[in-house]
Amino acid sequence: MSLAMINALVRKDITLYFKNRFFAFITVMGLVAYVVIYFLMPQAVDETLTMGWHGPELPAATIADFEEEGLVLRPYDSRAALQKAVQSGDVLVGVVVQQDFLQKLRLGQKPQVTVLSKSDLPDEYRSAFRLVLEELGHALAGRSLSLEVDETVLGPDMAGHNVAPRRRMLPVLAVILLITETLGLASLISSEVETGTVQALLATPLRVEGLFVSKGITGVILAFSQVLLIIAITGGLEREPLLVLTILLLSSVLMTGLSLLIASVARDMLSVIGWGTLVMVAMAIPSFNVLMPGLTSGWIKAIPSYYVVDPIYRVTNLGAGWSQVGTSLLALLGFSMLSFALGVATLGRRLQ
Amino acid sequence: MAPEAIVAQDLTYNYGNLVAVDHVSFSVADNQIIGFLGPNGAGKSTVVKMLSGQLRPKAGKATVLGVDVARWPKRVQAQAGICFEITNLYEEMTAVDNLNLFARLFSVNGFDAEALLNRVGLGGRGHDLVSRYSKGMKQRLMVARALLNRPKILFLDEPTNGLDPVSAEAIRNIILEERERGATIFLTTHDMMEADKLSDRVAFINQGRIAAIDTPLALKQKYGKRSLKAQVMGSDGRLKSREVALDEASTPEAVSELFSKEQVVTLHSEEATLEDIFIRITGRGLV
Repeated sequence: MSLAMINALVRKDITLYFKNRFFAFITVMGLVAYVVIYFLMPQAVDETLTMGWHGPELPAATIADFEEEGLVLRPYDSRAALQKAVQSGDVLVGVVVQQDFLQKLRLGQKPQVTVLSKSDLPDEYRSAFRLVLEELGHALAGRSLSLEVDETVLGPDMAGHNVAPRRRMLPVLAVILLITETLGLASLISSEVETGTVQALLATPLRVEGLFVSKGITGVILAFSQVLLIIAITGGLEREPLLVLTILLLSSVLMTGLSLLIASVARDMLSVIGWGTLVMVAMAIPSFNVLMPGLTSGWIKAIPSYYVVDPIYRVTNLGAGWSQVGTSLLALLGFSMLSFALGVATLGRRLQ
Repeated sequence: MAPEAIVAQDLTYNYGNLVAVDHVSFSVADNQIIGFLGPNGAGKSTVVKMLSGQLRPKAGKATVLGVDVARWPKRVQAQAGICFEITNLYEEMTAVDNLNLFARLFSVNGFDAEALLNRVGLGGRGHDLVSRYSKGMKQRLMVARALLNRPKILFLDEPTNGLDPVSAEAIRNIILEERERGATIFLTTHDMMEADKLSDRVAFINQGRIAAIDTPLALKQKYGKRSLKAQVMGSDGRLKSREVALDEASTPEAVSELFSKEQVVTLHSEEATLEDIFIRITGRGLV
């Protein structure tokens, strides 16, 4: 096995990869589309809650106090106007109270309050607004809750500067891009096995180990270069660039191993897409955890891509360093080695 | 005596329960062309794969150019050229790129792809994608790829199968040129005419076993039947066929009688073909 041989095979593989119109198209278009999607997504999180109000005019001081807490009280002239605003999504909920609302509050009576909300408003929001209303009632009645609150934030305090949707999207884009390259490489290898060209390669002085080294290098080049590009364009290298590069490199090895595994069972491009879709769905699950925290539970840590998504998210968005993501990095290293070894073993078996 | 380029001893291979090659033994002298003849599924390609280090024999031993193939397959492959039965070229690459890739794998210095393509009749088409080639052109390129390392031994697995007469003849000429250069050639085919024309020795393989191996002439002498075939004018004015067996004690008398008693219109001798002999030995045809 010589460097000249490996170089020749890697060049051949990359040439053939881009001669496959489908993968060439989705690679180039994917890169462009992901960058566009990233920059189209909101740059910051709007952390204020907007509540519509129809009823007696509230004291300016009360309104100002609530705005400081992140609750905007927007007055409406009529119940109909408020209802329209709720339906169009201008406000999350609308509150309709009678003109004697403040008077009844001060007298210690229970005034009638009507809350308007859209049918798809999550239950958590409804509960939150109910609490807000109670607090508003206390404030307007001149009473305050007799609680001494001592707040301790575990981890970085993100209040006021929550992670923007586009930044949450970054590890998701990285995983999708890596999976695309996985399918491309798997298709390339599978077609070589099916057409017998790999048989011709192995009837030369090239050893099977050399073939796997070349496939590994091709896979890592294809996956790493593209994911690096997108991370760099979207500013993902601003914090801990060496750490991010290490995560991306290990992720590329992980995906290259998966390519070899898919290629060892797939017979043609269609079956590559079929098997690849299964892998894609499984690998995409940890991304949902980043996009919508709390949706998934602890079992997602058994999915290798969790250790791609999690450290990228924490390093690029929360400023985590080597020590904070060390465990994830070790797990990623383990999964990468395991996937590559399994891929080599299964594909080697097929080649024999 | 010329050194042996190939020595096979009790080579055996089975795919599951199917015995593809069953204790095959033979040898091929250096710089000879051996034709391996047999119907589809007889075991020809499996023998090629074992001799060229692509398959490890289940039993027996093969030595090629003095090297134990099972032990050192890469040493053999470095000196061999293989033209596979199936067309396995990179079709989305040009012919030149295909050849250059394999030249690098064989570490051929100063390789001239264009010159090799000219030699196989593909001059001027080297920068076309292989997917645009006809079957004959692809086969010529397969042969070119097998030649690029100037191999000491060439394994050609059905190199002219399904080709037009022009392409087939071009490949046959290349095979003869390679023997002139000094290469030993292992040729599998089920085209008996081709084997007869090219081979120094032929081996009949049937159901994984060698049924006979010798020079084409010796096989014909041993198993064939020579005869004279004549057309004579009958008393009714119609042509009739007459056949006189050669190599028999009564032959001179029979020939004399033919000429004295009949009006001979045409006369020619006929030898047994390798196909006739194959059928006679194995009891089956070549397809």
